[in-house]
Amino acid sequence: MIAVAIDENVDNVRAFVDGITYPVLMDPQHLLTELYAISNVPTVLLIDEDDRIVQPNWNAYASDTFKEFTGVESADQLEIIRRWVVDGTPMMTADEAREAVGDLSADEEQARLHFRIATHLRDRGDEEGAARNFDRAAELAPHDWTIRRAMLPLRGGDPFGQTFLDLYAEFNAAGRPYHGVAPKRHL
Amino acid sequence: MTNDLVLLADGPLINLDQLEATLGWTLKPQGLCRDDTCVLVPDRSALERDGAVDARAVARLLDRPAIVDDGSGVAAIGAPRELRRGALHDLHAPDFVLPDLDGTPHALSDHRSKKRLLVAFSSW
Repeated sequence: MIAVAIDENVDNVRAFVDGITYPVLMDPQHLLTELYAISNVPTVLLIDEDDRIVQPNWNAYASDTFKEFTGVESADQLEIIRRWVVDGTPMMTADEAREAVGDLSADEEQARLHFRIATHLRDRGDEEGAARNFDRAAELAPHDWTIRRAMLPLRGGDPFGQTFLDLYAEFNAAGRPYHGVAPKRHL
Repeated sequence: MTNDLVLLADGPLINLDQLEATLGWTLKPQGLCRDDTCVLVPDRSALERDGAVDARAVARLLDRPAIVDDGSGVAAIGAPRELRRGALHDLHAPDFVLPDLDGTPHALSDHRSKKRLLVAFSSW
């Protein structure tokens, strides 16, 4: 078990990791979202002993904390994981896994670079340069949560506030685009 | 912590004597080289000028995305696209090194020969 926080602020992450014994890593530059074409959290991958991805990007939940919002039952997903751990049975065939995740578009790729430049400029006090690059990233990847929502706290916004709800409505209207396997929703 | 998959540079031009330290590649007569691997440089004059190379041109040769922010001059080079293609099409998990909350680096490959559940999460 390896958890990677797509987050800039260690203190924000600490609140989530109390009592956790597996590695929790910080990815302030969003490397993982580029390497694995990740566009939202939580995204889970199952990787076997030989570095083979048996379950690619999967919007899976280990608890029902957000069930009322997401409509996703964690029990089904935990059972799939348990089965793979116990006897190696994957959720999908290799052919299905290969088709499951769409590649990043050129725009989504560039958005990640603009986001990195924005956080870099923000760290060195260039607020205007940061805003310019955050705005460009948002234009290039309007439905990518690792861009649109991740930048809210960095720009003084509330990632759980009205801006988020507006973004969520946009995301729904766009057909809930996700690079990976979205679970069945019960809502 | 440095991570050569994610690079930021103060300007699009990288001096040749800094190229290896920045990107891990050096410009040799046979091409752009790293260890035993060389990438052919079709138009050397377009790549190198006055002892410096343009980060975007190097990135293009290495099939990595790159942009330059005109306002600040900061250049960003992303990871080689073949790593993500390897993940999506060959189902081979690209390795990465990231620090834990105390700054200690961990690699996905530290846990090779075990089944791994990798989860990307966030506080937002």
